[in-house]
Amino acid sequence: MSKPSTVTVPRSAVKQRALLLLVLALLVGGVAYPPAANRVIDTMNYWVGTHLGHIEKGFVLGLDLQGGTRLDYEADVSQVPASERAASLDGVRDVIERRVNSLGVSEPLITTAQAGDSWRVSAELAGIRDVNQAIKLIGETPILEFKEENTEPQRDLTAEETKAMDAKNAEAKKKAEADLAQALKDPGSVEALAKSDSSDQASKALGGDLGFLKGKPQYQPILDAVKNLKAGEVLNRLVDLPGAYVIAKVEEVKASDPQVNGRHILIQWAGAQSAPTSTTRTKEEAKKALEDIKKQVTAANFTDMAKKYSEEPGAKESGGDLGWFGKGDMVEPFEKAIYAMKKGDVSDIVETQFGYHLIFKADERPTNDVRARAVFIKQTQASDILPPQGEWKNTQLGGKQLKSAKLDFDQNSGSPQIALQFDDEGTKLFADITKRNVGKRVAIFLDGNVEIAPTVQTEIANGQAVITGNYTIEEAKTKAMRLQQGALPIPIKLIAQQTVGSTLGQDSVNKSLTAGIWGFVFVALFMLFWYRLPGLMSIVSLCLYVGISFSIFKLLPVTLTLAGIAGFILSLGIAVDANVLVFERLKEEVKSGKGWLQALEEAFRRAWPSIRDGNTTTLIACAVLYWFSSSIIKGFALTLAVGILTSLFTSIIVTRTLLRLVAMTELPKRMPWLFLNKTEDKK
Amino acid sequence: MKIVKNRWFWFLFSGVLVVSAVVALATFGLKQGIDFTGGTQLSVRFEKRPTPVDAEKAMAVFNLNTMTIQPAGDTDLIFRFKSIDEDTHQKMIKTMESTFGKVTELQYNAIGPAVGVELRQKAISSLVIIFLLVLAFIAWSFRKVSAPVQSWKYGTVVLASAFHDVIIPVGLFALLGKFLNWEIGTPFIAAVLTIMGYSINDTIVVLDRVRENLQKTTGTFEEIVERSIQQTMLRSFNTSMTTILALLAVFFFGGESIKEFALALIVGIATGTYSSIFIIPSLLVTWNKFSHKTKQAGTRA
Repeated sequence: MSKPSTVTVPRSAVKQRALLLLVLALLVGGVAYPPAANRVIDTMNYWVGTHLGHIEKGFVLGLDLQGGTRLDYEADVSQVPASERAASLDGVRDVIERRVNSLGVSEPLITTAQAGDSWRVSAELAGIRDVNQAIKLIGETPILEFKEENTEPQRDLTAEETKAMDAKNAEAKKKAEADLAQALKDPGSVEALAKSDSSDQASKALGGDLGFLKGKPQYQPILDAVKNLKAGEVLNRLVDLPGAYVIAKVEEVKASDPQVNGRHILIQWAGAQSAPTSTTRTKEEAKKALEDIKKQVTAANFTDMAKKYSEEPGAKESGGDLGWFGKGDMVEPFEKAIYAMKKGDVSDIVETQFGYHLIFKADERPTNDVRARAVFIKQTQASDILPPQGEWKNTQLGGKQLKSAKLDFDQNSGSPQIALQFDDEGTKLFADITKRNVGKRVAIFLDGNVEIAPTVQTEIANGQAVITGNYTIEEAKTKAMRLQQGALPIPIKLIAQQTVGSTLGQDSVNKSLTAGIWGFVFVALFMLFWYRLPGLMSIVSLCLYVGISFSIFKLLPVTLTLAGIAGFILSLGIAVDANVLVFERLKEEVKSGKGWLQALEEAFRRAWPSIRDGNTTTLIACAVLYWFSSSIIKGFALTLAVGILTSLFTSIIVTRTLLRLVAMTELPKRMPWLFLNKTEDKK
Repeated sequence: MKIVKNRWFWFLFSGVLVVSAVVALATFGLKQGIDFTGGTQLSVRFEKRPTPVDAEKAMAVFNLNTMTIQPAGDTDLIFRFKSIDEDTHQKMIKTMESTFGKVTELQYNAIGPAVGVELRQKAISSLVIIFLLVLAFIAWSFRKVSAPVQSWKYGTVVLASAFHDVIIPVGLFALLGKFLNWEIGTPFIAAVLTIMGYSINDTIVVLDRVRENLQKTTGTFEEIVERSIQQTMLRSFNTSMTTILALLAVFFFGGESIKEFALALIVGIATGTYSSIFIIPSLLVTWNKFSHKTKQAGTRA
């Protein structure tokens, strides 16, 4: 060698770096292609007993790849003072976000932007099916309304209305009686009558069949009326249900769980369900007390004992009487106990959540369940004529009269609050409302939902109200913004819509993948053909480059679009450019008679300025492209820029380390043709 | 092959290309897509694709005036028409289904005219900004080289090459628009901007070598430039080749919607490499000689 090799790096350092790169390669490999890494993790968890989780980071795909819709809206801010435009646009975004969320779109992306004088809101809805519905829903101008509590009692019917109702019902009754006569004459006709006349839509379709009546509280009066009839019989009178006259026919009778009748004595402990706070004894003490009572209790004296000892409210009068009840009426341990007992027995101590019980079973009787068919003839009721009573009552006050809603701070406590300011008309209306409602709540509705419902402390006559509450600054700000948005007449207009069907999206993903693989293969073959072993090293670097890029895409994350992937494939070509420059330099240096190691260092050093300058201009272009903010182009610029920066690392650091590693072996001497020079290295 | 010596041949060749491109652009103009003009583009995949004429007949009820229908691939049709509302859009799809059987809506883009105008303005301002930034960068990068060529001359020559590299693909797209109905959209603009950045890449490699050789070797300016070209020709060619190979993969396998973008880049990068070898260095030599002559002429008189 002609010059001392001071520029070369010590072997140990090279080996150390190579090792570091190997670790990096494994790491990015794992992130870029998780299935492989996860298999390794599984194996390790199995053999070493670690509990490492899987890597599950995926690529973020843009709308054009996963399918979806992007809607761009222009907000008309001409009515809004300049200082409030940004805030009101944020309000619009929030409203759109809420509306979109109701559509069940996964991770909708709602963004605002200002371009010159135009203020935009864009909604990216991935995987949405009904775009039309989304457009309709988003496009509504939000409605802000003030409502007061509805405290008016339900009014009575006027004499006239009552008269009309009575007349109607008399007619209905006549009709019902006619049907009843018909049914009694021919029980088989009930089905047809139900189909033609019944006002109960659900059973009408089934020919009046109500199924078995037990356990259906709304039919209890019918069950009570027909329980003694046999199958096939029609009840010889009308059942008068609220809202209907009913003609009932029994279709089927079956035995049902029997009912039981009895009494009980209850002893509670502190903390048992519905135990009064005066109860102080512990559970053990309660049990002990009841055991003592049990010693005195017999079937004959049970009622008196219950009056004396039972802690059930009202036991002194009732003597613990439970009346008739059936299955499902009592808590489970109690029911189980009493059904298991014989008539006239006193039970052991039974524990429920209410306390300890002693039970006396007085009687048991069989019951029937009945399947009935019924014709309902509608009766008009007062509630049919009067409108339903809502919780809130409309007022004249709405978003139109609200001038602004802002975040404010209490002068004394400094806690955040919402300050409302009304215009002249709103001030008058709000004064009236607050006067009427001192001590009551006034609700502010946004899009038909209660947004906030503060209680009125005092009449507010000056049109300036504050809403206090335990808000954080952030909460108060958001609420104010939402009210502000609802308050502002700021219409939005759909100016652009881009929809990509999922078919095309999948298509594009597949094609991009194919293109990427071929791009890689083309570049790799080219490098191998021209530069042989160094070429091979640059391919290894290129693999690492792909791994690092994928990892960055996943971790940042960069949203991948079709153009973005094209940018990445393009960057595959650019990534080896630096290596081409270095290798051509390397050829020259080797030709000029330098030893391989020396030539290597020299080539990397001297090629660097061109590499730096060339890539800088492309990066400048990327920056401008990114600023050229169409989302398609942003994706391209971002992947290209990430690619270029990554490639500077891989094509310089990685390739150099690999080549140094190879240069340290005997290979360059033995097989010089692998290293770009045909003749043996001159010594 | 002496490049600088035969420079007038290459100047003529490039001149013809540039003039043709300018003429094509002036006569035909670029066929602008809905990105710039506003309007609607609808891509539909059919199980049994109707002819464009039949499709147009079926759509006649919607009064879309100037609707163009273009087949794409084997199964798809691309409809282009004026802006419509969402209800009409849905009705169109329903009508297609009832007339032609099952259809899959691949893509629906509706751009308001205002957005188009804005995009166009943005595209133009981005071009100007890239131009200026690159000029500034080159001037800065070559600031230490003053003799015999001042650094601002490098910058000017680089800009001339950027113009050359951009106008040729643009001219090509004017022709493609005229004869094959290729439309340009935002991806084309992205391609042009990238060409601007990238074409400088090769130019810098050559000029860097000129700069280095000027400091290290002797000879006339022409000889030094010629030597620099010969030394860097292969690497310029190879760097572009790798990039073009990657882009060819995109062009052939990447799908319809990205073809225009890939082609613009391929042509631009190829042109960029060609100009960095055959035009830019020679231009520098010619300029140098010209200013020498005028200087000498001045002293003699």
